[in-house]
Amino acid sequence: MIQMHNVFLSYQPESSALSDINLKIPKGDFVFLTGQSGAGKSTLLKLIYADLTPTRGQVLIDGVNLTRLSRSQVPLLRRSIGVVFQDYKLLPNRTVLENVAITLEVLGWGKRDIGKKVYHILKRMGIEDKINATPLRLSGGEQQRVALARALVNDPKILVADEPTGNLDDENKEAILSIFKEANNRGTTVVVATHDRRVIENSHRRVIRLDKGAIVDTPDLFVGQAATEATMLEVPDVQE
Amino acid sequence: MSKNNKGAVRPKLEQEGFFGRLSYFTSRAFANLRQNVFVSAVTVGTIALALLIASLFLLVYVNLDGMAEGWSDKVQVTAYFDQEPAPLAVAALKGRVQAIPGTSKVLFVSQAEAEKRLRSRLKGQESLLEGITPDVLPASLEIRLDREHRDTDSVAAYVKKLKQIQGISEVQYGEEWVKRFNSFMNLFRLMGALLGSFLTITVLFIVSNTIKLTIYARKDELELLGLVGATRFFIKAPFLIEGVLQGAAGAVISLLALLGCYFAFLKNAGDFLGINPASAGLSFLPATHLAGVVLGGVLLGFIGSATSLKRFINV
Repeated sequence: MIQMHNVFLSYQPESSALSDINLKIPKGDFVFLTGQSGAGKSTLLKLIYADLTPTRGQVLIDGVNLTRLSRSQVPLLRRSIGVVFQDYKLLPNRTVLENVAITLEVLGWGKRDIGKKVYHILKRMGIEDKINATPLRLSGGEQQRVALARALVNDPKILVADEPTGNLDDENKEAILSIFKEANNRGTTVVVATHDRRVIENSHRRVIRLDKGAIVDTPDLFVGQAATEATMLEVPDVQE
Repeated sequence: MSKNNKGAVRPKLEQEGFFGRLSYFTSRAFANLRQNVFVSAVTVGTIALALLIASLFLLVYVNLDGMAEGWSDKVQVTAYFDQEPAPLAVAALKGRVQAIPGTSKVLFVSQAEAEKRLRSRLKGQESLLEGITPDVLPASLEIRLDREHRDTDSVAAYVKKLKQIQGISEVQYGEEWVKRFNSFMNLFRLMGALLGSFLTITVLFIVSNTIKLTIYARKDELELLGLVGATRFFIKAPFLIEGVLQGAAGAVISLLALLGCYFAFLKNAGDFLGINPASAGLSFLPATHLAGVVLGGVLLGFIGSATSLKRFINV
C-alpha cells in the first residue's frame, strides 16, 4: 500500500511543487495520476520510488516510512518498484537484452536465468525479435515496451509510469495499457501519471487529479477514508 | 489470476559468493569497455601519454642521477703517514681504518709505490725527478667511502675519526670538491623533486579530469542503475575495475612507447650529447621503476574513477 500524509515538497524556498498531499493507494490498485504539465505528477511519482524526499510529511510504502529510510535501504525498496520513465532511460550502447537484464543483474541473477526471463518478458511485450537490437534502432512504441519490460521483468510489487503513452499512436497506447492491466491482474499496484484524457476514459480506473501541486476533487482518496476500486472520479477536462 | 505478486525469486548464480560477484563485475567491466570503445580509448590514450611524459622524465632523471653518483666515486680520502709503517703494522692499520663506519675500500701505498706512480705520471719528463728518492714521498692509505658516506658532513666526520689513528699525520680529501659536488647533487635532486612533483600534479589533473569527463558521459547509466535498485558498491565496482584496467593498459602502452623512444633516440644519446662518454649511452629504467609506472597507472585509474564516481552516484 502507498500512503502519503501531509506531504509538502519544495524545490525552491518560495514555490512548492507539492502541497499537503494526502492519499492512500491500496495494494493491487490501478490509479491514474493526472493534471496539467507542472502539476506535480512526476514529483509525486519520484516520492514513491524515493528519488525525492518530502520537505515535510510522510510517505509510506507497505508500512515502511520512506522519510526514515537510510541511504543503504533505498536500493532494497527500489527493487520492489518498477519504474517506466518519461524519457525511457534506455542505454543506447546496450542491446534490448542488456537493457532489460539490468534489473535482474542488480538482483544478482545468473546469466542463463536472465536470458530466459528476459526472453519471456520480451515475448509478452511482442518484441522478442528485437532482443539483440540497440534502442536507437527501435520505434517509439518498441522503446516504450523495452522500458516496460525492464520495469516488469522482476515482477515488482508496484509499477509506476510517467507519461507512458506520451509519444505513441493509438494502437501502441492500447497495447501498452493492456500490459499495465495484465501486470495489475498479476497483483502489481499500478500508478500511471498521464495527461492523456482518452487513456483515462478508456481504462475505467481510479483517478487522482493534481493541480499546482495539490490534489483536487478527490475527497475519497484522503487518508482515513478507504478507497475502493469502485470509486471513480469524473475524468477531468485537461488541456494539453 | 494471482493477486499476491511478491516479486521474482532470485535463482541461484552459477558461482555464488565473493568470486561469483567478482566474476560478474569483471565481465561487466570488460563489456563496458567494449560498449564504450571511444571513451575507453580516450582514457587509455590520456593515461598512456601522461605516463609517457612522466616516465621519460624518470628515465632522464635516473640516468643523470646515476651519472652524478658515478662522479661521487671520485670522493677519496688519503691518509698520510709520518713514517712508513712496518709491513706487519700495515695490516693492523688497514683493519683499524676498515672498522670505521663508511669505509668501503682501503689501499696501502708504500713510499716505493708512490715513487713508481709519480714516475709513470711524469713519463717523458724524467729529468724533473732527478735526485728524488722514495723516502721523500710519504706512505699513505687510499680510502674509498660507501655511497651513503660521501656527503660533506659524513666525510668531515669520517676524517675526524681517521685522524685519531696513531701514525697518521695528515688527511686530504678534496674538501672543496666534495662540498661543491654535494651542493650540485642537492640542487639536482631538489630540481628533480620539484619538476617531478609538478609533472605528477599535471598528470593527476589531466587524467582525473579525463576520467571525470568519461564518467560524466555515462551519467545516465549511473543514474539508471541507482533507480533500478543497485547499491553504491554494485554501481561502482565495474567502473573501478574499468579504471584499473584502463590505468594498467595506459601504463603498459606508455612503457612500450618509452621503449620505442629509447631504442630509436635515447640509447646512444649519451655519446651524442657527450654527457656520459664512459658509458655506451643512457640505460633503460630498472625493473622496480617499470613496476612503479604500472602501479602508478593502476592507481591513477582506480583513484580517478573512485573520485569521479563520488560526484555522479546519488544512491
